[in-house]
Amino acid sequence: MRRFKALIYKDILLLIRDLPGLAMMFIMPLALVILMTYLQDSTFNSITENKIPLLLLDEDQDSLGISIERSIRQSHIFNVDTTLKEERLTASSLEKAVAKGNYQIGIVIPKNTTENIRQSIRQSVLKTFGSDSASTAIQMDSIAIFVDPTTKNSFKSTIISSIQEYAAKLQTGFVLREVSIEVKRLLPIPMGEIEISDDMIGIKEQYARLDQGRLIPNSVQHNVPAWGMFAVFFIVISLAGSIIKEREDGSFTRLMTMPCPYWLYLMGKAGVYLMVCLLQLLLMFLMGIYILPMLGLPALEMGHCYGAIILMSISSSLAAIGYGIAIGKIATSNQQSAIFGSISVVIMAAIGGVWIPVFVMPNIMQTLSKISPLNWGLSGYYDIFVRDGDLLSVLPESGTLLVFAILCVVTAIVYDRKKRR
Amino acid sequence: MTHIIEIKNLQKTYKGNVNPSVDGLSLSVEEGEIFGLLGPNGAGKTTTIRILCGLVTPDSGDVSVCGYSIKNEMDKIKPLIGVVPQDFALYPSLTAVENLKIFGGIYNIPKKVLMPKIDSLLEIFGLTTSQDRTIEKYSGGMKRRVNLIAGLLHNPRILFLDEPTVGIDVQSRHVIIENLKRINQEGTIMVYTSHHLDEAEHFCTSIALVDDGRIICKGTPKTLIEEAGAKNLEELFLQKTGKKLRD
Repeated sequence: MRRFKALIYKDILLLIRDLPGLAMMFIMPLALVILMTYLQDSTFNSITENKIPLLLLDEDQDSLGISIERSIRQSHIFNVDTTLKEERLTASSLEKAVAKGNYQIGIVIPKNTTENIRQSIRQSVLKTFGSDSASTAIQMDSIAIFVDPTTKNSFKSTIISSIQEYAAKLQTGFVLREVSIEVKRLLPIPMGEIEISDDMIGIKEQYARLDQGRLIPNSVQHNVPAWGMFAVFFIVISLAGSIIKEREDGSFTRLMTMPCPYWLYLMGKAGVYLMVCLLQLLLMFLMGIYILPMLGLPALEMGHCYGAIILMSISSSLAAIGYGIAIGKIATSNQQSAIFGSISVVIMAAIGGVWIPVFVMPNIMQTLSKISPLNWGLSGYYDIFVRDGDLLSVLPESGTLLVFAILCVVTAIVYDRKKRR
Repeated sequence: MTHIIEIKNLQKTYKGNVNPSVDGLSLSVEEGEIFGLLGPNGAGKTTTIRILCGLVTPDSGDVSVCGYSIKNEMDKIKPLIGVVPQDFALYPSLTAVENLKIFGGIYNIPKKVLMPKIDSLLEIFGLTTSQDRTIEKYSGGMKRRVNLIAGLLHNPRILFLDEPTVGIDVQSRHVIIENLKRINQEGTIMVYTSHHLDEAEHFCTSIALVDDGRIICKGTPKTLIEEAGAKNLEELFLQKTGKKLRD
């Protein structure tokens, strides 16, 4: 135990004397989490705050036109104009305005669209009930949508769906009304109007989760664990650097001539860096809970299973420590380990979903993300924070991280033995 | 006489090398000796010491230290040996006391014993006033002295000294050599390598000249010099190893 204490004492001293290294391990990730959360939150808000300009020409001025205009305004995605400053709004001026890029979408609802629908349905119903008066075909004009080429497909789809939805609703209303008129005519019994409620089939949107409760994923829920994982893995530079420095200054050789087995030396390093990683994660979580809300961001919600958080934190930290030990053992110089360590962690972070969440990545990247230890850790934290998971739910991720840690340490030990031959 | 170190037919060729670094080397070190392992660069001295300290695995041969085999009893040997490497094997960003506390702790020395021992050794080697300065601020001579103290903390049975006085001033060298002689008289056996042949001639009780991984001659410095009809150890050295430059 005295030997282990001496090794811990050594690594603590080496760590606290390396001020730039300490700053890199603590200040950089904290700064990154604030910056990235704030940026991503702003990006998210910009979608809803900076509405898409839409020009609407409602020549119909009846039920369909009114419904479409109302639904577009209620979506809060579009900034709807119904007039032009310079000239009178017509189908042609509307097309020009969209072509110039002043508007991303232009909609023309032709005159008498509602009335034409109404007439068409009336004739169709009359024909069904065998009336001779249903004879002339109604000429229907289409609703025209002009789209700027830069408009996202999703917005285009939103508009088309909204219009189709309201047209269908209107048609159904007209059909029912005409049918009820014909039924009344044929069967002289007292009968009221058939009405369809707007909310016959309700849609309730909820985030998928493992049990009851209410948690809303947001940029904080993503960025705090994501940059926490990045911070934890960034210790590989300091850890590998310290291993190489000891080798270069000869102190490692001295230790190996002493009653200090190589595994005990590694345990000492792992013990100190485990404390560092856990402290980093604790600071990140505290920042998510207390500091980010002060900056106008949502507070971090940590789920209910603290045991799972501890398990994930320890297994992620051990994976990072194992990786650092392997790099420190295999790299031949401090420069080599710093370059390889930092680049590999940045790549693992990028493919692991630290910068951009995995679910918005292309399919190939989503598959590739599964090889990144940072993704395993992040996925475990998502289980706890977003899906409110418990110990059992994070066992696959923490198990994988621990296997990775063991593989890295075994590689380092085998390499050390090989080197001594 | 008791063989404290016994090496029989030691063989070591590093991976990628054609010529062996140690080629059938055999020697023994007795109780109370200061044994000088001398030879030109690349003769195999450092490899032999690294094998004795457990840093390198030999290809073949039998080596025992204090009666324990280096093959499978290194854990019993390590607490009995002290090593003073040629490089300053210290943590530059830590103070002398911090370095020594760490090494003492790894030797499993209780704090109550360790702290007075550190104080006493620092005083003996003239480092008390600078004990709280970081090693990186020390002069070469001061670093050599701390390097030596680190190998003496646990009162080792055998002390391996790999060029312990290289690159330092006369004063520091004098303090180191005088104290090593005193420590040897108190019972510590020493295995010493150096290129300072004058120092070795007066410091060692017996020597072995090594070249190409083999022992050329061994005995007391005085006997070997007399037998070869040389003026001093340096002349003997040149007689035995030649004047060809070595890398």
